[in-house]
Amino acid sequence: MIPATMLTNALLVGAVLFCLGLVGILTRRNLIVMFLSAELMLQGVSVTLVAWSRYHGDWGGQVLVVFVLTVAACEAAVALVFVLQAFASTGRLDASAWQALREENLPRVIDHELPADDRVVPTWPHLSPAGVVPEGDDSRSLERDHV
Amino acid sequence: MDPVSTATVSPSGLLLAGSVAALAASLWLLLPKASDTVASRRLGFLLGAVALVGFAATGRSLGCVGEDAVFLTVAGIAVISGLATIVTRSPVYSAIWFAMTLAGVSGVLLVLGAQFLGVATIVVYAGAILVMFLFVLMLAQPSGMAPYDRVSNEPMLAAAAGAVLLGLLTLSIGRLSAAEPPACCRMPSRAQALAAAAAPADGAATKDDESTTLIAPAMAGGDTGDANEVAHLGAELFGRHLFAVEVAGVLLLVALVGAIAVVSRGEATETDHRREGR
Repeated sequence: MIPATMLTNALLVGAVLFCLGLVGILTRRNLIVMFLSAELMLQGVSVTLVAWSRYHGDWGGQVLVVFVLTVAACEAAVALVFVLQAFASTGRLDASAWQALREENLPRVIDHELPADDRVVPTWPHLSPAGVVPEGDDSRSLERDHV
Repeated sequence: MDPVSTATVSPSGLLLAGSVAALAASLWLLLPKASDTVASRRLGFLLGAVALVGFAATGRSLGCVGEDAVFLTVAGIAVISGLATIVTRSPVYSAIWFAMTLAGVSGVLLVLGAQFLGVATIVVYAGAILVMFLFVLMLAQPSGMAPYDRVSNEPMLAAAAGAVLLGLLTLSIGRLSAAEPPACCRMPSRAQALAAAAAPADGAATKDDESTTLIAPAMAGGDTGDANEVAHLGAELFGRHLFAVEVAGVLLLVALVGAIAVVSRGEATETDHRREGR
């Protein structure tokens, strides 16, 4: 059993995590980040369930969190397969790529102004050449200098 | 006690309103937008810190934030990383911040005394689910930072909605701690009731029923912070909830088969298209 202050502490943390996940899933357009936000909401609910479980000295909440973990694993597997299929058909991880499925009375999402790509391209160190120049430069086209 | 008048008159209500406004402004500044600058992001981080402290102070004045330093540390890690998860532009960094959130949540669960779930969160979430997310990101992320990662849908409305919801939840949690424990809490919990029911049954010689002897000590203690926490949770899981465990196993199998079926069907149609193209 835990004291009541510990219960409300944990409930506050759970509420914060849930609300952050809610904002993320409402605003972000990347499908993967949307799923991460949903997982964030699940984490908030898990903290709440465990806190109540410990407060009441009842194992039911913790058992429920075990099943939340199970269902989250299933959901992630199936959802990521669909995300991969969506990416294969549109070439984007953009939720707005599927806006043909929206309601009739909703306006179309149009990106009027896109922000400038203000990434700072890192300056890689230049090594003095040594040894034989390897032939073929195909592999370098597969590399990415950032994520 | 009228909750509305409490919220508007008392200093904790003002503090709560200020925290909600700061959180909404912080989220709006931090979420990806076309008009982002470095200065606005810094202001957003500052406002987010102010909002965090404000919420903690509100909870304190409502009497529901303790002084457990370990709890505050891990909770801070979880909350700050959660904020970073939803505002980071790069999805890979977002996933890594989410791993940090999981570490914080695992710490919170450990402080609460749920040892098995604390470890399971790391092993299952950070070890399996998050790695799956990263795999998909590597497979599907187009090169360069995609334009849809740098804009977001209705950031102002969503930030306001999330902040207001958090304010309402904080208010209700504060009222929960201020109020008398409801009738359900004053009643002996189910664990104690079962322990009381099991106590006379001990004398009635039910030694052959293994589930009873396994579960009864767990229930009688009612304390999940003990050394045998995992054993007790396992006894509960595989005792009372055995059928649900079996259903969960079937669910995992169905998800596995379904995922493979969808992928292989997609590949089959692709090869069909290629064949038709020839």
